Amino acid sequence: MTHWFHRNPLKATAPVSFSFYGVASSTGANKICNDLKASRARLLELFTDVTCNADMMKNATDAYFSLLQGFINSLDGTTQENKLRFIQNFKWTDTLQGNSTSAQQDAVFELASMGFNVALWFTKFSSRLAGKEDITESEAKDVHRSLKTAAGIFKNVKEIQVPRLITPAEKGRDLEARVIDTYIVQCQAEAQEVTIARAIELKHNASLIAALAFETANFYHKADHTLTSLEPEYTTKWRKYLQLKQCFYMAYAYCFHGQTLLGSDKCGEAIRSLQEAEKFYNKAEGLCKEYQQTKGPGSTAKPSEQLFFRKLGASVRNTLEKCQRENGFIYFQKVPPEAPQLELKANYGLVEPVPFELPALSSQWTPEVYATFDLTKGPKDDKAKAKPEEEVKPMKEPDIKPQKDTGCLIS
Amino acid sequence: PAIPEGVPNDSRTNKDGVLVDEFGLPQIPAT
Repeated sequence: MTHWFHRNPLKATAPVSFSFYGVASSTGANKICNDLKASRARLLELFTDVTCNADMMKNATDAYFSLLQGFINSLDGTTQENKLRFIQNFKWTDTLQGNSTSAQQDAVFELASMGFNVALWFTKFSSRLAGKEDITESEAKDVHRSLKTAAGIFKNVKEIQVPRLITPAEKGRDLEARVIDTYIVQCQAEAQEVTIARAIELKHNASLIAALAFETANFYHKADHTLTSLEPEYTTKWRKYLQLKQCFYMAYAYCFHGQTLLGSDKCGEAIRSLQEAEKFYNKAEGLCKEYQQTKGPGSTAKPSEQLFFRKLGASVRNTLEKCQRENGFIYFQKVPPEAPQLELKANYGLVEPVPFELPALSSQWTPEVYATFDLTKGPKDDKAKAKPEEEVKPMKEPDIKPQKDTGCLIS
Repeated sequence: PAIPEGVPNDSRTNKDGVLVDEFGLPQIPAT
């Protein structure tokens, strides 16, 4: 396994029929409703289709969002709210909350929730690719690009869609700032992991690798810190992952910083840096075990047994032994009691989210067709609203373990 | 048709004017 990433479950949603009997009073309006239903179902189907690639996902997303925007954007040339925005109820689960659902009668809520799931899919797609043995350069680029794409979508949801909601998200729900922020930073950090692996493979300067590893560790620390004020029952497993990755990349940073010091004939300091790397590596190993034992949403794994993890351990040990050997033969320097302060700034390899843009409005939406949606002709008893809600079926994902404590069936 | 000079997004220049690859790493490793 080249890389390993923790993943939370996909969001699940109740089916939406877009059946507005009486309201959609023209052929064009009915066609839009039918196409909305079909394109939504297609997109949901692709989320769990292992043969789906990034282009397929983008096309399916564009197809649905280009139609859905006709329920949000102003189509009659006025600044007034789109009359269709609040016509349909949408129900979604959240990645950390098991089967419990959030529902809003708002097309913006649907856009934000579906966008969130598309971003999650990109993170899962990249995780699947990155987990392969001997990943090719082209695949590494796909992983890197997918993670940046995911970060960009999460950012768009947070900055553009969520502020438009009438009802703010509750604590710990996906559309809440702390949760989205964590996903954004995690995506950036994981993309940088791919860059670090490439930098090592191409034998880039040790100081470049140390700086990027240090910044990546800081990203993981920031992501973990963002979750501190949420409930431990649904964040602990995710936080263990973020913490173990932080320690793992601190070990990387000290290991490569030690190599830089050795290159400048500071062998005593290099030994101290490598000892610090060993300390962080052992801490990461302990956190890997805690991660395995922690119940909660997310994928099952034994990270400390994976090749990527053991490789760093061997690298730290070998470099430390080399430094100690050279100190005993050549340098005879004293090993300082304090570990060197890492004040490394990465000039290369830092990841920025790829800006996400919604597709253009579907050509099916014209002011004339929009006018043929007549809200006064809707069911008088508000039957659609009163109808008993269908249960939300979890997405069937092969790499996700059931969340025992909430009875969630996602697997 | 003209042969494209490079693959889009495959390489670019960073803020310091250094040619970098798609991962943001310098095109020529320093070591």
